[in-house]
Amino acid sequence: MYPFGKGMARYVPLLLLLIPFALYVVFYFGPSVLTVIYSFTDVKNIPGSPVKFVGLDNYYDVFFSGNSGERWRSITNTLIFMVVVTIVQNGAALFIAVLINQRLRGDNFYRAVFFMPVVLGVSVVSLIWGMMFDPLSGPVNMLYEWLFGYKDMFFASFTHAFGYIIFVQIWMYMGYSMLIFLSGLQSVPKDLYEAGYIDGTTKWQSFRHITFPLIASSFTVNMLLSIIGAMSTFDIILATTDGRFNTRTMAYDVYKETFRGSLEMGLPSALSVVQFLMILVFVVVAVKQMRKREVEY
Amino acid sequence: MKKSKSFTILSYAVIFVLLILYIAPLILVLNVSLKSYPEYLMNPIGLVKEIQWSNYVDAWTEGNFANYFINSMIYTVVATVLTIIVSVLGAFPVARGYVKWSGFIYLFFLLSQFLPNPMVSQYKLMLSLRENLDFFGYDTKLGYIILKTSGTGVVFMLFVGYIKSISRDLDEAAGMDGSGYMRYLFQMIMPLMKPVIATGVILTAIGIWNDFVGPIMYLPSKVNYPITFGLKEFKGQYGNNWPLLACGITLVAAPLMVLYSFIQKYLVDGALAGAVKS
Repeated sequence: MYPFGKGMARYVPLLLLLIPFALYVVFYFGPSVLTVIYSFTDVKNIPGSPVKFVGLDNYYDVFFSGNSGERWRSITNTLIFMVVVTIVQNGAALFIAVLINQRLRGDNFYRAVFFMPVVLGVSVVSLIWGMMFDPLSGPVNMLYEWLFGYKDMFFASFTHAFGYIIFVQIWMYMGYSMLIFLSGLQSVPKDLYEAGYIDGTTKWQSFRHITFPLIASSFTVNMLLSIIGAMSTFDIILATTDGRFNTRTMAYDVYKETFRGSLEMGLPSALSVVQFLMILVFVVVAVKQMRKREVEY
Repeated sequence: MKKSKSFTILSYAVIFVLLILYIAPLILVLNVSLKSYPEYLMNPIGLVKEIQWSNYVDAWTEGNFANYFINSMIYTVVATVLTIIVSVLGAFPVARGYVKWSGFIYLFFLLSQFLPNPMVSQYKLMLSLRENLDFFGYDTKLGYIILKTSGTGVVFMLFVGYIKSISRDLDEAAGMDGSGYMRYLFQMIMPLMKPVIATGVILTAIGIWNDFVGPIMYLPSKVNYPITFGLKEFKGQYGNNWPLLACGITLVAAPLMVLYSFIQKYLVDGALAGAVKS
């Protein structure tokens, strides 16, 4: 029962709800649906130009047009990026969360430090690592030379730049995954470990059979966040190499084709849809796999 | 449960190595920012010998950071406040069921997290808005702020969850006393939501302050640059003059770091809430 007046006053909540509703429909939902529609047309970024449906032509062009070699490389890069980031970031985050969760002294400080890059943001983080990885005067190159007698070009190397981008991405978001694992770990009841200890489990066994099943839901959240994040972020690429040196991914291509490429908007739209479908497939597979492992206590 | 001592020592060792990986780059930046350019070229990683505070003055004026800083403040403050208000306007009636189909509306808003990338037609929309309206759309402060204002994201979902925990009796009592809907929302409900609003403010503000792609796409004029874009341009201008760039990095990062040390606790909670709910 609505307590704030009768008659016309009953429509006040609805009228006010229309504000977020309109913002959402105009700036996100609408453009999202339109992008899917655009992907089947030859729409151009010229106001008032005629639009006609071209079927799957854009999708064909995504994979088989003139510079399709580069496109396939973007797709491969995207997959490498997603797989490596998801595995390494979550692996490292889980490991560190388990370490910190033993009530080490200063654990709050460690948490704060590892989360800090998220606060600093992409523009600052990319410059900090630009400095660390400076080929001429950066400390990392000095370390390389001292250790291996070898120098690297880092973000200007055709073979290694993408690897360093992956490193910076993981450095930046590892703390985020770690926090999620920590909150999962803190919800595991301590008496389970004691029961395990009485039964004579080793550390690894108690982790494998007690901790892991109980933090499976944090694992699912982390997997989803890294898969979706890794497939759709490109700001770190934009900030470090700007797509040069073989570091383009699909998300970067969408941006590049929309914003600095031709006036054709059908192709980047089709690319967005392909990207979306790939995310969908990976997310569904990951969720199915993870759900199997989740248990309740 | 007994703990093995060697394992604890090993844990500290691993954490220590990682701390170096996270803190050393920051120390390097501070160190370099105080060197003169010749000293940096001679000895890029050694401890600074002659401290050059004037680097900071140079960077601040050359980089035009005062201007960018004000822009960033405007975007962050206005868009965050709007996001919070708009999210409350959406979350309250949906959480209470004061509108029809509120369950459906909740799901529809939730969908915002899973939609295909809207960038392509968002860009076209912003361009055509600017075409027709002088003050709104592409390359206007207002256009960017409205684009960044959203009442349907993680903040909305956090709010719905929180409002459900506030007793409905309060609504009835306020209604009996003749309070209007708006007044009730802003004078009763929002003060009760303080903790979750704090989380929402932090999540939104960090996202907008650090937005990197948005300004590049939608704010190409120099008068509209936020500080992230300003730093990027600064790098473009001063290429390899790392002492000056390090000052730029510090100037941009310092306010965030200071803020972070104060709100660290809320931030960590907020990040968790955002991740687990979404």
